[in-house]
Amino acid sequence: MQVDVDLEARTDVPRWMAYGTPVFTVLAALSVSAVALAALDVDPIAAYEIMFVQTLTTEFGLTETVAKGVPLIFAGLAVYLPLKAQLWNIGAEGQLFIGAVAGTWIGLNVSLPILALLPLMFLGAGLAGALWVAIPAWLRAKWGINEIITTLLFTFVAADLKNYVVRGPMQAPGANFPQTAQLPAAGQLPVIPGIGFPSGIVIAVVFVALTYLLVNHTRLGYEITFIGANDRAAEQAGMSKYRIYLFVLMVGGAFAGFAGISEISGVQTRLRAFFAPGYGFTAIPIALLGRNGAFRVLLAALFFSVIFVGGSSLQTLLSVPAAIVDIIQALIILFLITAEFFKRYRVSLSLGRDLSDEPRGTRPEGEV
Amino acid sequence: MAGAGFFAGLANATVNASTVLILAGLGELISERAGVLNLGVEGMMLVGALTGFITTVVTGNYWLGLGVAILAGGAMSLIHAFLCISLNSDQAVSGIMLTLLGTGLTTFFGNSYSGNSVSGFPERTLPLIGDLLVEIPVLGPALFQSTVTDYAALLLVPVVWLFLYHTNIGLELISVGEDPETADTMGVDVFKMRYLAVIIGGALAGAAGAHLSLAFNQIWSASMTAGRGWIAVALVIFARWRPERILLGAYLFGLFNALQLYSQALDFSLGAGAPLAGVLNPVIDFVMNPTIMSTYPYLATLLVLVITVIRAENRELAQPSALVQSYSRETD
Repeated sequence: MQVDVDLEARTDVPRWMAYGTPVFTVLAALSVSAVALAALDVDPIAAYEIMFVQTLTTEFGLTETVAKGVPLIFAGLAVYLPLKAQLWNIGAEGQLFIGAVAGTWIGLNVSLPILALLPLMFLGAGLAGALWVAIPAWLRAKWGINEIITTLLFTFVAADLKNYVVRGPMQAPGANFPQTAQLPAAGQLPVIPGIGFPSGIVIAVVFVALTYLLVNHTRLGYEITFIGANDRAAEQAGMSKYRIYLFVLMVGGAFAGFAGISEISGVQTRLRAFFAPGYGFTAIPIALLGRNGAFRVLLAALFFSVIFVGGSSLQTLLSVPAAIVDIIQALIILFLITAEFFKRYRVSLSLGRDLSDEPRGTRPEGEV
Repeated sequence: MAGAGFFAGLANATVNASTVLILAGLGELISERAGVLNLGVEGMMLVGALTGFITTVVTGNYWLGLGVAILAGGAMSLIHAFLCISLNSDQAVSGIMLTLLGTGLTTFFGNSYSGNSVSGFPERTLPLIGDLLVEIPVLGPALFQSTVTDYAALLLVPVVWLFLYHTNIGLELISVGEDPETADTMGVDVFKMRYLAVIIGGALAGAAGAHLSLAFNQIWSASMTAGRGWIAVALVIFARWRPERILLGAYLFGLFNALQLYSQALDFSLGAGAPLAGVLNPVIDFVMNPTIMSTYPYLATLLVLVITVIRAENRELAQPSALVQSYSRETD
């Protein structure tokens, strides 16, 4: 029997596909992860019940989800904005470390009332994150040096620097552990009275809205998107790649810095040498899922927050390694880029059709 | 301050640290020469390290472990090949996904093996001439008392060089990375050639992982590759896509890595009476701090990368022209 695969480039993406893809992707990733769970003799349905239903229906689960969601939203934005200009900020994790170090230092060494100290800590963390990515950004803008590799190399350096300061200059006096002193009350993000949610979520939502306005409603945002879509045409239209690349990466770095300090100030209350939450890497699937808009980044970050919180419940309740979260992340990316193909091409399979009257070589031979 | 024993130790640690990078770097180079960037090296290495380790623990045969690791790395790269070559997906995204997948899968399934050790590849001298060569001061023991995988990595450098520049299939592979349209017209099967290159790259990354868990460390721990996969990717740019320069870059990185291990043995601080001792000694302490020294390999890689690219700006960078470009036939 003759099987023929016919590819035809789509001119427009059907509506159901645009909205269905993220949902389908997540479902497919969860189905495949179920195999990994089953391999460890864990009932996937029971596991997902713990992961999603218990996380979303208990007060503790919801509060945890929002708390973890805050740094994930910032980290997601840190990758999302450069991605609009087709740049990959793979090093958000490193910028997050540097932001955490700078913000914690301010919190421990400056004494101000809470309404002045917290903004100053965020400012310092954002500035530190932006400066940390400035060199890779400049190298990309000026010399075209691959930002994926440079931002990542900087992450390893940032991790060591964080370890160094927490074991040395910033170690709590008299402490035996490699950790800083606890932030004063004025340096800790309070909970929202009444509902008990961490107040960081308010700041995060404000920055999501600002990013949305920047990308969708300003001239700069238009230039960013244009350069991302076609950098040659954009340069011919007189836009400066140099300026845009520096801007998106450094603002991205600032967001990653916010992610770092919001986690320290809102959850951990002190910086530890072993602090390595991996949010900067989770930011990649978050930005991919949410690449059509800042508010989708928010939703994707909250989704990942649910599986993070659910993942640690799995670890405590069923002794399943929390690395299941990494697997789900990777599978989501895998299915997203596969779905991308089906968005671009209409694929029709035909069986046993007579091809004799068609010239050979005009269709791909057997390749999907 | 430091004697011959110190330098012998340093040389030994340098050679040990380099093998992983030579294997993974050569694999990535072959893949990129055919036009496919694979950022999944780290993930494929981890999968190779774990599968090789488990196989050796279960069967007691480290050769079988190495074989399984090579197969596992190759199989994993097949996902990348399918996504990037057949589905024309974004190569950067697909590679990052492989790294996440490899990290997740190996942490998940390697959990119960964490911290276990295994008796893997022993250090051997070469037959016949080995005992003589080991007598060479400083470098002798480092180079000629090694594991089979160390020798294999060294041998692979000329092999890959010969393969790429002096065999038909190698030249076809290069042509696919430079100009797939023309290669296609000349009768080279672009898809087949790219698949081959990506799979060889994955197999070598798997072998690099097996070297790490069966010869270098002989233990399994999660994320034990510690970013070496990414260094291998940077190494290819440093080497300007030439196999012989992979060797040079790998040794440079290995040296920095080794220096960190031996930093405690070095003491450069000035005596109390020396001029500027009060200012310079804290600086020296900072620079020689082991945690700070562990950043040097990354900084060195970065520096070399920058110098390579900037110096090549006016000349040829030698990057394959069709790197990161997908190829589909129905463009007419």
